[in-house]
Amino acid sequence: MTLARKYLNAILRSRKLLIQTLLLCFALMIFTPFLMIVLRSVGRGWFGRLWLPPELTLDWYRWAVEVTNIVEITKNTLVIALLAVLMSTVIAIPTGWALGRRNIPGRELLMSILLLPRMIPPIAFALGVAQIFYRTDLINTHIGVALAHVSICAPFAILILSATFEALDERLLEASGVCGANPIRTFIHVVFPLILPGVLASMIFTFTTSYNEFTLTLMTYGKDTVTLPVRTYLAIGEGYWEVTSAMSILLIIPSIIVLFMIQRQVAPEKLVGGFKGV
Amino acid sequence: MPDYMIELRDVTKRYGDLVANDNVTLQIRRGELMTLLGPSGCGKTTALRCITGHNIPDEGRVFIDGEDVTDVPTYKRELGMVFQSFALFPHMTVFGNVEFPLMIRRMNKAERREWVMDALRMIRMEEYEDHYPRQISGGQQQRVGLARALVYRPKVLLLDEPLSNLDAKLREEMRFEIRDLIDRLGITAVYVTHDQAEALALSDRVAVRNAGHIEQVGMPDEIYDLPQTRFVADFIGLSEFLAGTLSAVHTEERTATVAVDGLEIHVPATPEMAPGRKVLFFIRPNDIELLPASQESGINVFVGVVEKKTYLGDRSDYRVRVSEGLELRVQTDGKVRFEEGENVKVHLPIPHCRVIVE
Repeated sequence: MTLARKYLNAILRSRKLLIQTLLLCFALMIFTPFLMIVLRSVGRGWFGRLWLPPELTLDWYRWAVEVTNIVEITKNTLVIALLAVLMSTVIAIPTGWALGRRNIPGRELLMSILLLPRMIPPIAFALGVAQIFYRTDLINTHIGVALAHVSICAPFAILILSATFEALDERLLEASGVCGANPIRTFIHVVFPLILPGVLASMIFTFTTSYNEFTLTLMTYGKDTVTLPVRTYLAIGEGYWEVTSAMSILLIIPSIIVLFMIQRQVAPEKLVGGFKGV
Repeated sequence: MPDYMIELRDVTKRYGDLVANDNVTLQIRRGELMTLLGPSGCGKTTALRCITGHNIPDEGRVFIDGEDVTDVPTYKRELGMVFQSFALFPHMTVFGNVEFPLMIRRMNKAERREWVMDALRMIRMEEYEDHYPRQISGGQQQRVGLARALVYRPKVLLLDEPLSNLDAKLREEMRFEIRDLIDRLGITAVYVTHDQAEALALSDRVAVRNAGHIEQVGMPDEIYDLPQTRFVADFIGLSEFLAGTLSAVHTEERTATVAVDGLEIHVPATPEMAPGRKVLFFIRPNDIELLPASQESGINVFVGVVEKKTYLGDRSDYRVRVSEGLELRVQTDGKVRFEEGENVKVHLPIPHCRVIVE
């Protein structure tokens, strides 16, 4: 029996070891491409079959900031993402309330229709959106790009919020009423604190979706509304893989901040209907 | 001051084709604990929700303390309510939950604290003020629910199956605790339950409900001893029902005889009795006496044979054949012992014999 075979048998015998190995493979699968980008963004002269870059440099980051006007682009991306969050939330709160708390006939069907934009190939959907936008002068406007993002952000927000509102116990509202609170004060003191985690979750999901959205932006952007994902893509076309990598890393930073916020401000277990009452 | 704290006057509430409350009139006196007792689906919760204002009756009026509140929203009715599901606010601590009604009433902070701590002391939960509902047990949650309902000293306390989600032992303890609290505060209370033992133990008066209407209202012993309908007799405790005909009324002895399957059973007479009328005779199995065969015969003593015996620990359950087509169920305490096949005498004591004239 070879050593490798012996090791394999040991893994199969010990479930704990097996699980650890699988987790390690999974982590490698996720982190290797990421590691490649990191290395590419700080490496010089890294060509051919070399395993590691021969020389390290931060030049590409300087290039990314100077040549591609990254500050302006980041601002665009954030403005569009915030607009998309705002619009999606405004749409999703009443819709989610209706879907989650009222007995609407054909509710399941409506929910599936909401996901329809996601089922059409994104590029085809984006093409349709672009054609409308050219006729309505929405191309190359922040609100236009944000609106395009809403078409895929809002369904997500509606799904999350309808689940949040559905989980809101009607009896708590009744209890609040018996305690003397009118509907407005019931909303302020009972409904709002209970749905807040869900609303925040929905906003974070919409934000990251819009922030990373590529296809829809590509079809609706103009010179004033270039976003980070689109600029990164363009940089590939220009042939600067190192700059592209540096931009990708910069692109990740806000996402990491958002993730950090989720961890710190909103405990994740609260996001997934974690209130365990009776 | 009006006589009744709560009054439902000809209240009808429908859900589509289902009539949950059909022209119900109910008067609850100041300071009494009235129980609405009935099986699930009898509309007792609907009636309660008409009092709270969560349901608006289709017809009829609701009065609280003499005031017509039919169109007054829940939050202006000044009620306290305890829920089956506890319905504590999960994002507030025990203190916050109890404080909520006071905060809504804009009481100042220092006074609030005093009242809340009083309420928590009342239910012996003052050490738990910083706990969240999910951190305390079901029984404790329900006590907090009680404190929240009582903290602002409402005129009326409503309890909707408050003990159904608790285990049997705790249920019995809480029963006394609730009764004790209500006595101390002298508050008017409406208690909804499907548990007849709970209703009999707690209430000043019981309203037994069946399918949208009230069958009988009375004190617990009246309901238990003098049920007026078959439904009440059946619901409140195990009963043997026998169809019979009134054969004679003896005015002097204040009794009547009922012919049931060849037996002549004496029963207490009531004014509406007249010979020839069809009646439903019933007696509770534990009110029937089982005597040795050597016992002398007398009124309401019949000869029988033990067909089947079931030992139940503290008591025994017998099936006794007293005539060709008639088998009586008898329950005796553990001291009386008869064997299957043994000849016995069965005594139906007149005061326990009940008749419903149909």
